[in-house]
Amino acid sequence: MASVTNWIEHLTTDVDAATEGVQVADIYPMVGTEWMWLTVAIVFWLWFHVSTGAGEAEEQQKLARKRPGANDYKKNITEW
Amino acid sequence: MTDGLGALTTIFTEFYYWITVVLMFLIHVGFCMYEVGASRYKHHQHTLMKNTLLIPLVTVTWFFFGWWIYWAFPTGPGLAPSIMNESAALITDESLFSAKWYVATSNLMAVNLGDHISGVFWAAFLLFSWTAASIVSGAIIERITTFAFGILAIAIGSVFWTIDAAWGWHFDGWMLKLLGYHDAYASGVIHAIAGGFALGVLAVLGPRIGKFSSSGEPRNIGPRNPWLVTIGLFLIYTGFWGFYAACNIPIFDLGPEYGMEGTTFFTATSIYVTPTTLSGITFNFLMSLSGGLLAGYWVSKGDPFWTYSGGLAGIITASAGNDLYHPLQAMLIASVGTYIAYKMHYWVERRFKIDDAVGAVAVHGYAGVVGLIICGFVLWGYPSSGYSVGSMWVGTDYAPINPLGMFIGAIIMFGVLGFLPGWILAKILHGAGKLRIPREVEIAGLDYNIMESARKDERTVG
Repeated sequence: MASVTNWIEHLTTDVDAATEGVQVADIYPMVGTEWMWLTVAIVFWLWFHVSTGAGEAEEQQKLARKRPGANDYKKNITEW
Repeated sequence: MTDGLGALTTIFTEFYYWITVVLMFLIHVGFCMYEVGASRYKHHQHTLMKNTLLIPLVTVTWFFFGWWIYWAFPTGPGLAPSIMNESAALITDESLFSAKWYVATSNLMAVNLGDHISGVFWAAFLLFSWTAASIVSGAIIERITTFAFGILAIAIGSVFWTIDAAWGWHFDGWMLKLLGYHDAYASGVIHAIAGGFALGVLAVLGPRIGKFSSSGEPRNIGPRNPWLVTIGLFLIYTGFWGFYAACNIPIFDLGPEYGMEGTTFFTATSIYVTPTTLSGITFNFLMSLSGGLLAGYWVSKGDPFWTYSGGLAGIITASAGNDLYHPLQAMLIASVGTYIAYKMHYWVERRFKIDDAVGAVAVHGYAGVVGLIICGFVLWGYPSSGYSVGSMWVGTDYAPINPLGMFIGAIIMFGVLGFLPGWILAKILHGAGKLRIPREVEIAGLDYNIMESARKDERTVG
């Protein structure tokens, strides 16, 4: 899981940066599983739109059926 | 980052942009205050929530694909060859500035000891994205569904403004090369496009109930809370200063880049790597703010809402060339843009029954367009980009700044990438019945249920 287990060892690893690149430059956990995280994130993102969009429409339809007047909200102004 | 100077430059640049991100966050705070202040009591909380949700929606999509678009699209594609690989295709090759490195799964889009700056740049551009979406948000308050606004915010914030930034801001952008487009602080790249997009949405969305009389006369629905509007706009001014900073490269050695043999010339530059100074843009920012405030006060006969908005319109008008203008030019250009924006707002309102609740189309859209056109004349003949000189990319010509190129650029920003996508998307959402809230809800107030619930809680608690 851990991409780095020893900072001193990691940062002092003797590599030729010009030919080998920076040694394990990406230090976040589970390097190599980025596609999995992206897939989960996209599913969550799509679900969010569908779910909240449907919820908003339902709530507004309910309110529309009640047909409050333009000034009815004034009865609900709290004093606290 | 192995030598002292290199490390200092990298870390200073990283920190500089990081600070601009913090400052630019104030733009969003300001927009939230401004919109809530402009909306009526029964819509307050939904107005605020709509603008708050913009943050995660645009941020996540900017991570998914927005940043990739910026790096992939400078060539059009198909409009002008890249100076990196001489291909007019999307830039997705192995080159240093390729979009390949900015896909959501790239190891540069994370904590990476080999890259200290990508995330900070990503965030600076993201804050521009929020701004673009926020501009649209204000115009359409009190009658759009949060769902529809979310889709539109993603479209303008993570797609269309990104394309225009790739075309008109990126060092490889085809508009720089072919048109001589120059827009140092985003008169067009952010403001004209967002204003145009808002107008496209408004044309489909329609006015708030009661905005126009039965005979078609517009009625004024003034801001409910002028103080909130005032503070909001002052915060936007403050954040806008951070935006100006973010549009610069703070420290750059032009000597070797411009092919000046043996010369070291450290300076701040515009986003186009043309020299400017933080001193100069400080003059210009404040003088254009002042020109806008003066013109706004004068043309609106002292109306506070339009005076503050005039300050913003003034900066926006002068922004395209504020890297080079004289401060007095900046002030006068700002005044002209503010005057035109104000007049256009009321003409469009009457003529086309457009209800722009906060004047966003005028302040950002019309002022931005005017600013681009004026810039084409005042900076006529200047190099549009630092890449057109010296040794950066030998053999590649960029058109100089010119009136026709800037005029076409204004049409692209406001019309092609702004109005048109806004109108089409709004039509689609309208056709799906998702664009506008039910009439009964608009009359009752978007916050009716929240307020009713709070009132019940109050009675229960006693």
